Amino acid sequence: MEFNLTPQQQERVEAAREFTREWISPNAAAHDRSGEFPLEICREAFKRGLMNSHIPKEYGGAHEAVLDHCMVMEELATGCSGIATAIDGNGLSQYPVILAGTDDQKRRFLAPMLDELMFSAYAVTEPEAGSDVARVKTTATKVGNDYVLNGVKWWITNGSVASWYFVLARTGEELTGFIVPAGSPGIVRGPKEINLGQHASNTVRVTLEDVKVPEANRLGAEGKGFDIAMATFNHTRPGVAAGANGITKAALNIALSYAKRRRTFDKKLISNQGISFKLAEMMTRLDAARFLTYKAAWLFDQGQDNAREAAQAKWFAADVAMSAAIECAQVLGGYGYTQEMPAEKLIRDAKIYQIYEGATEIQKMIIVSKLLRMREVH
Amino acid sequence: MLADIRRLAGRISERFKRAYYGPTFRCPVCHFVLAAVDADGNGLLVCPVCGAVIEIEAVYGHIVPVVLDMELYRPQPKLRVHPMATHLPIGLFPVALLGVVTLLAATFLKRLGLVGAAPGGRLSVLASAVLVLLVVSVGASLATLASGLWDWNFRYRRRTYRQIRLKIACSIVFLALGAGAIALHASGLVFAASGLMRLDSAAGVAADFAYLAALAGDMVVLATLGHIGGTLVFGR
Repeated sequence: MEFNLTPQQQERVEAAREFTREWISPNAAAHDRSGEFPLEICREAFKRGLMNSHIPKEYGGAHEAVLDHCMVMEELATGCSGIATAIDGNGLSQYPVILAGTDDQKRRFLAPMLDELMFSAYAVTEPEAGSDVARVKTTATKVGNDYVLNGVKWWITNGSVASWYFVLARTGEELTGFIVPAGSPGIVRGPKEINLGQHASNTVRVTLEDVKVPEANRLGAEGKGFDIAMATFNHTRPGVAAGANGITKAALNIALSYAKRRRTFDKKLISNQGISFKLAEMMTRLDAARFLTYKAAWLFDQGQDNAREAAQAKWFAADVAMSAAIECAQVLGGYGYTQEMPAEKLIRDAKIYQIYEGATEIQKMIIVSKLLRMREVH
Repeated sequence: MLADIRRLAGRISERFKRAYYGPTFRCPVCHFVLAAVDADGNGLLVCPVCGAVIEIEAVYGHIVPVVLDMELYRPQPKLRVHPMATHLPIGLFPVALLGVVTLLAATFLKRLGLVGAAPGGRLSVLASAVLVLLVVSVGASLATLASGLWDWNFRYRRRTYRQIRLKIACSIVFLALGAGAIALHASGLVFAASGLMRLDSAAGVAADFAYLAALAGDMVVLATLGHIGGTLVFGR
């Protein structure tokens, strides 16, 4: 067991930290207020190799380990989890292609994303099918050598800016995955949704009206879409947990900085045990969430089943982030409740981690399903 | 079209602000946008609007302001010369500019043969009125600058704020451009005796361009001054 970072990991983390300090944190409040997509920041992240880093080497990528990616993601989300989501959103849609795409599909859809700044989106959720992916209603009807897709995809991250979508659609009784270029006739992108938090992240509705998709864009065999969509989460959930850890880290840093300097009752705020214990608890919970995250990522990198660990990490890190953001506001007192301090934004941003990429309850169901297969826990 | 212009102006202004102010944060009390570079070596600064004594620290690029104290004794000049002097140029200059636009339009309409000569030499009266308005507004801005410096000395205790530096710089630019425009106007290079703009010679056209550019520039500077002044009074 080794807890030290390798020199390469250390270098990567420091590069991400510098980028966060220079580009993300100073612009976080402005993007939160305006809701503007952080295109310039993404462009800089792209230049610095902080986007699309998991694309395999044979297609020109760096094939970054999930563990390394988690460390980078934690740094980015410490600045602003909304901007970090915009930067990292490609991963969720690219992974189905990495997992099940043909060589031709990878060359057509992944390789160009390393040449210029492009976005892609994971279009699975629908108004009537959120956590219960099997309820997806979008249809894909075979017509000659093409499929014709009809349906409504909902809360699609990076949906307005994406060049292509990973779409899950029903082919008969089964679900099948497709790569759908955003320029295909019949694709209508809705307006940006006004969400509680992560305002920099672009979330839209995408409607598919008689969208023709060639058979060459089908991912895997017909009926394999559900498995592909679910397998993707084993790769991405540690990254989502790392994003939540970034929020916890931001909350802890802000609360600590404030408590060390604010004076109450003729002493520093941190001298009050009620406050200092909050900070101790936040630090400990952050470390616990990190270790779960890193283990889930490490297992994936070792090629082992990490479904339970990824679910544990995602659930726990999200809850820790939510409580840390609330405690941060509590440490800041009245100021924590105002928009001029970053605490309220952290509360709004943290909430989504308990919901997207499988709500907390779904994570617990996954953990229980794994427990049911065990005779005893070691 | 208008929305595009507004978006472009907003983008230019944002870029300027980012370059000029650097990292900023809002005063937690009055919401005035403060530049982190205005803090002293100990990370302390006093909000010019509400007097909050703020200590700042940057963690992960997030500026965390902590209110340590409130500066209660903040002398307000009894005669309030600065606010009064400020509103004279702000009120008169746009009217002068409107007069110039009217004269410019009349010049072109006349040239196109769409209107005859203005009866009773009304255009020349308008040109003279414009000159008077320019002299009064630019002249009053001298009092504005002087009273502003007085306020800065007493009310703001000579503390350096990005906004006040920009105000001083803009005031000087306003004076210089305004003086140039007045000189051109009074020289007779821009307007003929009829009140119409001179378009009959290259020198006349060049003088017209310089005059209009100076006035347009002054209007932008004045709007900037008014905006900064407003935020210094009201915070947000």
